[in-house]
Amino acid sequence: MHVIVCIKQVPETSNVRMDPQTGTIVREGVESIVNPFDLHALELALRLKEQRGGRVTAISMGPRAAETAIREALSMGCDDGLLLSDRAFAGSDTWATSRVLSAAVRKLAPFDLVLAGVRATDGETGQVGPGVASLLALPLATYVSSVLELTDGFVTVERLIEEGYESLRLPLPCLLTAGKEVGFPRLPTLRGKQRARRQEVVHRGPTDIEVDAARVGLAGSPTRVTAIERPTLTRTGRIVDAARIGAGRAAAELADFLQEHHLL
Amino acid sequence: MSAMPYSPVTEEVLAELARIVGERHVLTDPEKLEAYSHDEVADRECAAMPEVVVRPQTAEEVARIVRLAYERRIPVTPRGAGSGLSGGAVPLFGGIVLSTERMNHILEIDEANMMAVVEPGVVTNDINEAVAALGLFYAGYPMSLETCCIGGNVAENAGGGKAIKYGVTERYVLGLDVVLPTGQIVELGGKRLKDVTGYNVLKLMVGSEGTLGIVTRIILRLLPLPTAQVVLLVPFADVRSAVAVVPVLMTAGGVIPTAIELMDRLSVQASCRYLNEQLDYERAGAMLLIEVDGSDEEIVRRDYERIGEICLDHRAQEVYVADNHTTRERLWRIRRNIAEAFKVISPVQSLEDIVVPTASIPDLMPELDRLSDRFGVQMPCYGHAGDGNLHVTVVKDPAEPMDAWRRKLPECLTELYRAARRLGGTISGEHGIGSKRKAFMPLVAGEAELDLMRKIKRALDPRNILNPGKIVDL
Repeated sequence: MHVIVCIKQVPETSNVRMDPQTGTIVREGVESIVNPFDLHALELALRLKEQRGGRVTAISMGPRAAETAIREALSMGCDDGLLLSDRAFAGSDTWATSRVLSAAVRKLAPFDLVLAGVRATDGETGQVGPGVASLLALPLATYVSSVLELTDGFVTVERLIEEGYESLRLPLPCLLTAGKEVGFPRLPTLRGKQRARRQEVVHRGPTDIEVDAARVGLAGSPTRVTAIERPTLTRTGRIVDAARIGAGRAAAELADFLQEHHLL
Repeated sequence: MSAMPYSPVTEEVLAELARIVGERHVLTDPEKLEAYSHDEVADRECAAMPEVVVRPQTAEEVARIVRLAYERRIPVTPRGAGSGLSGGAVPLFGGIVLSTERMNHILEIDEANMMAVVEPGVVTNDINEAVAALGLFYAGYPMSLETCCIGGNVAENAGGGKAIKYGVTERYVLGLDVVLPTGQIVELGGKRLKDVTGYNVLKLMVGSEGTLGIVTRIILRLLPLPTAQVVLLVPFADVRSAVAVVPVLMTAGGVIPTAIELMDRLSVQASCRYLNEQLDYERAGAMLLIEVDGSDEEIVRRDYERIGEICLDHRAQEVYVADNHTTRERLWRIRRNIAEAFKVISPVQSLEDIVVPTASIPDLMPELDRLSDRFGVQMPCYGHAGDGNLHVTVVKDPAEPMDAWRRKLPECLTELYRAARRLGGTISGEHGIGSKRKAFMPLVAGEAELDLMRKIKRALDPRNILNPGKIVDL
């Protein structure tokens, strides 16, 4: 079995600072990490490999420094790593990124599964996974919480929906975006780290994956960021004063409020 | 306990206190006072209610409160965040609890001298957050750093998880303003890296547990912030294998790690379950958490690889590597939450703090097994293996009646302390004596030494009003 995992390097955001002038994230001195959701996707891929054999390829589009993210994936146990790094890719939005990743995935065929995190913690769009699926005409399941069964030709997954969970059976190959429910990411081991450091990370540009350089990067991105605004947070509190209106009426008012807001 | 006559806090005293700090900062509501009646010692028998809590904001206010207390013979117990583990901030004789919570300002960050001047109520970790952007850090790393106050760290001479490389609080305290038990304010030390002007009263104050003075301003030394940090988590089949590797790491490793923390099976499982951590911990009998830091990624990599290889050569089951903030924090959280996790499992326990020479840790382990068998108690063990400071915790069997536990605990502790003593150790490495370990002082300090401590206390605090009943009885 061949599983391809799309990962992204993102700034570590546990203590994020915003530039009050530009409204953008201060990236200076901020560590780069593998997008946390992608770590769950990697964990899922590695568990499937443990059960079924085969190999796992991690791919990422990003600057040369994103090689660290690929090496992180290798140190967790991925077999191969591919970095899509080229000036032509710079400034890609989710559309162009999907185009680049799908072209690279096509080159890595045959494959049985493509995995990605549900979204990246920097852009928070959740569009690239589905974008890759549609460009490759692959069946898609998003917000996957667990893989229930993987048989020849089909995968049955459980996915998170607003009302709860649903099960889907998809023909292979297909694309799944993984939520954190699929499993806690493993830590790299010393041996894994050492292996990953010696391993070659393949770098590929637009000609290698046969995409038109004009249709990727900033030029190939229809999205334009015209303004960035900080949302203002408003919280309104309502106090039910039992001392003033009596416990009985207060309780009734509270019950009404909770029912009104579907909290009961 | 000495029958030192103390006066009660009268209405008139309350009015006087209100004149000093303002009415809002004089608390007498019993519900509010309760929060100031205990620290983090699990045993509520160590708790005692204050008569009043005052929250001054300046050294002058502190001095006026202490002078008033001195004149009226009212006990004063200084208090930071109340996260102590020896009953240090508990007002054993009632009276006034003097909380430094409003003295929580970072007064100065002196980049050129690499120092920070802070008030005692500043949360320890806030100092790091304030100086990180300048590429500096404060090297103290108590496990409660997100809640504890720097003033408490100074009073207890707090140690913590990074003491093997960076030492404990006293190494970083260069200056203190202190209100003495008679109400005078003294300035000790200063922004000087060397100073042998007379007796080192500054260092006497550090670790004096609030019995000799109340710290109102602290000058701290800062260090260049390490830019590369790697944490290794190393599971072993049993505690013995884990502790056996520690002296080897220190000698053959050729590296001083920032931390070597030990967690036995019970500690790992309690904390992992408490945090819902999915790490593969079930088959580990013990784990070491080892941190290496430095300013060069390549050197740090070589250091951690060397340490990792030594561990694998000495029966480690695996070596996990955390080299970014997220994973490092994930591992440190397991270590930092052990004490909290045990409290959830069994609130009746005694969290101990023995320290032995590092090479003697392997000899201590069979002693723990022996005591655990003999007294029929669980004794999970975790702590700072790299500096020999282990938080053995004596946990009551839930089925055991309380009075039987109360009878056996002092006996069990005495045996534990004697075992530590035999190995060249002592009863507290970083938590302090407070009231919790006072009765056991004669096990590790001779009469001449205890008498010296009493003389110091009497000389500075002739009326014994400052945090009375702690460390030694007069």
